[in-house]
Amino acid sequence: MVEAFFAVFQRPNFLTFVIVFLWGFYIMVTRYNLVKKLIGMYLVQTSVIFFLVSISVKKGATIPVLLSTTEPVQAANYANPLPHVLTLTAIVVGVATLGVGLALCAAIYRKYGSLDEEEILERLE
Amino acid sequence: MSHQLPAILFLLPLFAAISMPVVCLKHRHWSQPISVAILAAMVLISILNLHNVIQHGEVRYVFSGWTVPLGIEWVADGLASIILVLLSILGLLGVVFTVPTFQKSLGGRVVHYYTLILLLVSALVGMVFTRDLFNLFVFLEVAAISSYALIGVAGGRALFAAFRYLVLGTLGASLYLLGVSYLYAVTGTLNMADIADRLPLLLSSKALIGGLLFMFMGLGIKMALVPFHAWMPEAYTHAPESVSPILASLVTKVALLGWIRITYWVLGAPIVIFNIPILLLVAALGTLAAIIGAFLALAQRNIKMMFAYGGISHIGIILIGLGQGNQTGFAGGIFYLLNDAVMQAALFFLAGVAFCQYGVRTIDDLGRVGKQAPWLTGCLIVMALGMIGLPPTGGFFGKWYIILGALEAGNYVSVAAVLLSTLLTLAYFVKLFEAIFRQSSTQLDVQPGEIPLSFKWTLGITSAAIILFGLFSAPIVQLLLNHALPPSL
Repeated sequence: MVEAFFAVFQRPNFLTFVIVFLWGFYIMVTRYNLVKKLIGMYLVQTSVIFFLVSISVKKGATIPVLLSTTEPVQAANYANPLPHVLTLTAIVVGVATLGVGLALCAAIYRKYGSLDEEEILERLE
Repeated sequence: MSHQLPAILFLLPLFAAISMPVVCLKHRHWSQPISVAILAAMVLISILNLHNVIQHGEVRYVFSGWTVPLGIEWVADGLASIILVLLSILGLLGVVFTVPTFQKSLGGRVVHYYTLILLLVSALVGMVFTRDLFNLFVFLEVAAISSYALIGVAGGRALFAAFRYLVLGTLGASLYLLGVSYLYAVTGTLNMADIADRLPLLLSSKALIGGLLFMFMGLGIKMALVPFHAWMPEAYTHAPESVSPILASLVTKVALLGWIRITYWVLGAPIVIFNIPILLLVAALGTLAAIIGAFLALAQRNIKMMFAYGGISHIGIILIGLGQGNQTGFAGGIFYLLNDAVMQAALFFLAGVAFCQYGVRTIDDLGRVGKQAPWLTGCLIVMALGMIGLPPTGGFFGKWYIILGALEAGNYVSVAAVLLSTLLTLAYFVKLFEAIFRQSSTQLDVQPGEIPLSFKWTLGITSAAIILFGLFSAPIVQLLLNHALPPSL
């Protein structure tokens, strides 16, 4: 039990991921303000990207361009380029979603004059 | 040439979508003919592609020449090609359906609407073909972002439904991405076949369980599986009349296809992880969805809401078929998926016509117009036969093969679930027909004008397709058995 507790602190980045993910999720569920919901949503997305980055860190590695073409390739010397590409794509996807979300928020505000979920629901009735 | 067909099928709607705002900036009325032409071309190319796949076997397409474990691989196999034919035909019908009355309801956003529809179709094509988990995520999100915008395009109440869909859908996508990164951390690859090769050594890995759990939860949100279905009825009910048929018939079904790919192509049918057979889990989730969805549909008064819950229960029935782990059940599930896509499109077309021509929103409104619109009621009867699953329609044969598969697997709970869900479907359609035939017709609120030709065409074609699926069920199921089975069955 105690060992498991300390084992968690061996990997602070995973702990950070869990905290940020749950924090974002908590904001999404509990806040009534639509923009705050979007902030929570963005925290969730960012935490996943953070996780993806932290599992693919390689210490002491250089950029994935061959240092020498004659020697055999030492994979440990080069960073893996794939997670970077995945991360970039995921960031772009996240930004696009956030943009659409903010546009919807703006349209809702123009239509109902409020960003509070409960007030809008009252006006919908 | 023929090995380039998958890429052409994807690039055609994508380029059309990107160039649409530029080309139609000055000439708004060009947007519909252009979209119809592009989607009609897609129908032809997808049929050509299916023919090619049946004749010469599956087509493997690797982007920019990177070989398989490194590059992104697309495979046009039998299953993908069959679903793609359906997808392009339903997309074409959806665009044809958008006649000038809908253009009024969309405000000045006609060009945006067609751009988004084409973008959605191209993303769905990508999701159908791709064999790369991360590529699937990207297309899932492109499809989702276009659907959020499409639902919100009309403004009003739909905006709020779209917002809720956006928040939940993004949570689903994040969970899926989290699952993919777990699997990537464990296996070091994203290609489905490559992961399938490495899995047997990793079955005791906890990261694998976590990753699969997150992926299934994420895709479950996207395909409106029962515990995660809350966004779906609201979004499809408030979406513009011309949007909901395409969304209801295609988006959830293609997300379901992603689930099928992961269950059968990545994991393989007989896989048991920590003493839990994956397929049993799929069948159990399907059972839940089939029954709860049908119960919820029974409680609705709004017709679009009722049809949306009907769709949720049908996703459960498809999963029951897929969860049996034998060829009959799998072919029955896929056959029912094709059939259900057509039925959902037909039902939402009908709801759209009923609203635009007669102002019908609820079951009671439908009672008022029932006898004055015989062709509408006629189409509704055909669709109801299909949804319930009575013999001349495809719905019957789909459920028949699913039940045969369940009996073959000795899974009697699944049989009972399909039958119970059928009874409940019967109950909610009886409720609908009771409203139509019992009430004496009163004056209409809206004087119906001449019914536009495109309404007649779309309703006629989809209703006919429901019956044709039944009449030609044997060759279609044979086609599925010959060409669409996963390698592990």
